[in-house]
Amino acid sequence: MKQLFKEVHEAWLATQFTGFMSQTQSRQELYEFSNILFKHLTWLENDFIKNNTTYNYDIPQVPIRMTHISHMINNIIERLSSIESQLNSCKDKHISFRMASDLNYIKAALIKLPEEEVEECFKAEKNYPNIELSEEARDALTIFLFEESYKEYELIMVYNYSKANSDNAFLNRIFQILIDESFFHLRSFGQMMAEMGILGVPRSLMEEIYKFDNLEQFLKDGIQEEIGAKEECRKLADAVSSSSEHFAAFFAFINNQENYHIALMEEALEHIKHK
Amino acid sequence: MQKNILDRKRDKMTADAQLIEHMMNPKNYGTMENADASGMGKNPTNGEKVAIHLKVEKQDDPRITDIAFQAIGCTTTIVAGSIVTSEARDIHFSRAEELVSTTLGMLENQSPEDAACTEMVALALKAALDTYTEKQKDPDFSMFSYHISTDCTPKEEENNETTV
Repeated sequence: MKQLFKEVHEAWLATQFTGFMSQTQSRQELYEFSNILFKHLTWLENDFIKNNTTYNYDIPQVPIRMTHISHMINNIIERLSSIESQLNSCKDKHISFRMASDLNYIKAALIKLPEEEVEECFKAEKNYPNIELSEEARDALTIFLFEESYKEYELIMVYNYSKANSDNAFLNRIFQILIDESFFHLRSFGQMMAEMGILGVPRSLMEEIYKFDNLEQFLKDGIQEEIGAKEECRKLADAVSSSSEHFAAFFAFINNQENYHIALMEEALEHIKHK
Repeated sequence: MQKNILDRKRDKMTADAQLIEHMMNPKNYGTMENADASGMGKNPTNGEKVAIHLKVEKQDDPRITDIAFQAIGCTTTIVAGSIVTSEARDIHFSRAEELVSTTLGMLENQSPEDAACTEMVALALKAALDTYTEKQKDPDFSMFSYHISTDCTPKEEENNETTV
């Protein structure tokens, strides 16, 4: 089942990042399917935990560079077929039945998605459509997007691991909000990366990032990181403000969202201290 | 060519096609099952680290047949790891030692942040080479782990992972 878990993880990322490539209504559909695959990942993870099976989030790099979206769609369908062929390795028949039903529908729906050329998502031209950015602003934005897309993926997995391995309802509410927030940020940054021709799937996580011993310290460090991210957003908003009001406003918005994340982590920290 | 890329200061990083390629698709990134040796480079001030894993063909001058790296670090570390591990694939240990020395010798031309990232990668490779050599004497040996330092001298770590 560990191979199954790994392949669901890869299929989720492949589907999510194919969504970033699309410029049509297919994007929303791919987002919905990626949500379903992420949910499958959590079902399998919960089954591991229920059976005291050790697991990790190790996966190989997920290649996505294609010229046409149909190539990625075929790739995803192959991945889903491989997952289907391994569903027997999950002993919980309720899970495997639900997964089989979802996968069957998703495969049938994916085939119908229209063709799109997606080569531009990988051309590394770093130009944003209809927005003139200085070279300095483009370079700053490029580095920011690579750093932060990885960070958001990392946060999704860290909070997901914490949530899966905790039965504290108060903390799990906070973890779920943080997962949802990170999904929103990942999608925002992923779409921008595709527009700029620099799309790539984040690298896999080292195990110690999500398997930490001290939640209190993790939250304290997390608050400091969010403060650092706020500063990066502020700097970036300054760097792009002369080139684009749109970007300046977007990064100011992201910056302010970090305040909410900090408040949530402080809430979790207080809860732990008084437990 | 590779040196020029590593020498770029981060705040002026010209994201040219080659550099972007390493960011979009880091080479040799990931874990390695049944590695013959692993080594770690660490930045003790911020917790960033690089692990390098090797598959080695046993010879008088052993040859690196496969290499992988993982990192907790920034994009500069990933780019440096991608470049250095690409250079280290399929070379003998004597050449790999030269690669470590050359890389460490470039640090003074880099910004402190870039130098720390590059040094961490070079020391991880050095640690993996040293671990392999040590394992030939003591098969139970775990791995070397080196801390980055401004003078590029590997310091002994306090826990049981380290020697030298």
